Amino acid sequence: MSSTITISDEDFLKFKEYFYRKTGIIFDYSKRYFVDKRLIERIEATESENFRSYFNMLRFEASGNELQSLVNTMTVNETYFFREEYQFKCLVNSLLDEITRKKTDKSPIRIWSVPSSSGEEPYSIAIYLLEHWAGIEEWDVEIMSSDIDTEIIAQAKQGHYSARSVQHLPKTFLAKYFHYQDDGYQICDELRAAVEFSRVNIMEPSEVRAYRNMDIIFCRNLLIYFDDAARRQVAEMFFDAMKAGGFVCLGHSESMSRISSLFRVRKFPEAIVYQKPWEA
Amino acid sequence: MAIVKNQTPHIQCVNHDERIAERDFEGLVEELNSDNPTERRWAVRDLTKMPEASSTLVARLKFEDDASVRAAILNALAYLGDNVAIAGLVSCLRSEDAALRNEAIEVLKEAPEGVEPIINNLLNDADSDVRIFAVNILESLRHNNVEQWLINVIEKDPHVNVCATALDLLSEVGTEHSIPALKQLKIRFVSEPYIGFSVDLALKRIEEGSH
Amino acid sequence: MKHILVIDDAATVRLYHRNILETAGYSVSEAINGIEALEKALVKSYDLYVVDVNMPKLDGYGFLKEFRRHEDITQAPAIMVSTEAGTHDKALGYAAGANLYLTKPIKPNELLSYTRLLLGDVA
Repeated sequence: MSSTITISDEDFLKFKEYFYRKTGIIFDYSKRYFVDKRLIERIEATESENFRSYFNMLRFEASGNELQSLVNTMTVNETYFFREEYQFKCLVNSLLDEITRKKTDKSPIRIWSVPSSSGEEPYSIAIYLLEHWAGIEEWDVEIMSSDIDTEIIAQAKQGHYSARSVQHLPKTFLAKYFHYQDDGYQICDELRAAVEFSRVNIMEPSEVRAYRNMDIIFCRNLLIYFDDAARRQVAEMFFDAMKAGGFVCLGHSESMSRISSLFRVRKFPEAIVYQKPWEA
Repeated sequence: MAIVKNQTPHIQCVNHDERIAERDFEGLVEELNSDNPTERRWAVRDLTKMPEASSTLVARLKFEDDASVRAAILNALAYLGDNVAIAGLVSCLRSEDAALRNEAIEVLKEAPEGVEPIINNLLNDADSDVRIFAVNILESLRHNNVEQWLINVIEKDPHVNVCATALDLLSEVGTEHSIPALKQLKIRFVSEPYIGFSVDLALKRIEEGSH
Repeated sequence: MKHILVIDDAATVRLYHRNILETAGYSVSEAINGIEALEKALVKSYDLYVVDVNMPKLDGYGFLKEFRRHEDITQAPAIMVSTEAGTHDKALGYAAGANLYLTKPIKPNELLSYTRLLLGDVA
């Protein structure tokens, strides 16, 4: 059955402005077909009469659940090795050099990757450090990674991946760090041992409190699924978990501009990242 | 050197209620005056779980100069959401400190129940800046009366910038109910091109949306 | 073509400024608050900034102060636009690094003539 619901030009503009304000994601006219199609999907799924009644619900619904469903529909969150690789380049070419230059002792550099999901991100960081950062000869690095979901953590610790998940890895790295097993790719024990996985609810201060003195936090494509109050709270948690001068890396469609003014915007050749200020 | 595991003992999850019990109200209030911002932030966080904390937090907010502690207090007040907390946030709207005002507005946007009983007073405040901030609060407020409040503003408010702020929001949430007030506003500020532009935009959106 | 960044949390204001400036042949980008504006200014240099004062997260004063501090971005001119007409507010605007302070609501010719003046596009 084809839909009779349509989205007018002004409806599109109204939606575009609202979605931009809430998420920072901009849909220009080239995305019109994509946006209309997904909006109509949600209008039908919520049994709304038309765009107007749907938008009204989206805008005023007390729980904010529909906004979250819509964000899920409008964004594709797929995790794989070397996803958003420019940030790992930024890590090894810029961030770590600045951190080591300012360090006053030889204590390990601490990197925290949240959410761990099935482990692709923390393992990508480990591979990047070993392959692309000369400083690893001189410095110790701790990689910690956390998730709220214990099942996904078990999967991350196991480290068994589909062909799809490793498709962006250079073949030499695939050969070096994985072996083919049970219709997939098993990550080597050296890398499994390199990452400390733990369960944490980043919304719960008493749980986050144990995570201190981080130099770098990767938190990519997670906050976009949170509401405003929750995002602010997480930004504060991170602020506490970090050393002064530490960096937060967010996903490509995310920005601190919707979340918090506690961090400084820093530009590096590869990426924009956020820094906890040096001075108090 | 290499990638290494954390050398400190395994991260432990402290039982929440136990930890709070160890940190009684008096002790936390004292910690709120610590010289160390990190200690103050944690005192604020633990006070968030204590319903009687609002007035203490509001008092601290007035002279807290560390941005991160202020952010924590504002979040705590939003979470507590009682009359004292809301009144404390509202009093920030009159602050000379622009950052504090803006932070308070953001927190109030998320408190529809707390804001409902006071919004009329704010929208009728003698200070046009406070009225603008009140309209700013409506921007993200998830409350069914938002359109009516905005209509009241554009019907009666004498200040062009208060009306302009309300108009921006009406072009997003306006329905047929707003049409007469919009048309009237355009006449009232006939010499202001910005008002003409905004009214036309709002009307266009309402009319196109009704087909 | 000269490129202008319009920074305002109100979508209608951004659209209004965009229409005026684009009609006059300028290219326009938008930012919703001071932090987003900084992110954009760090990635691409604009010829002029039109900056609202009251915005969430980082307001116009905060944006300009931070922006003027950055040595790696061009120190392009900035027009500050505010609902406040008081001399104290203006002084704050100039102290933060504004080249010009205008009071809302703005007339199209007002925005355009000052834009041309600051960009040296006077006919």
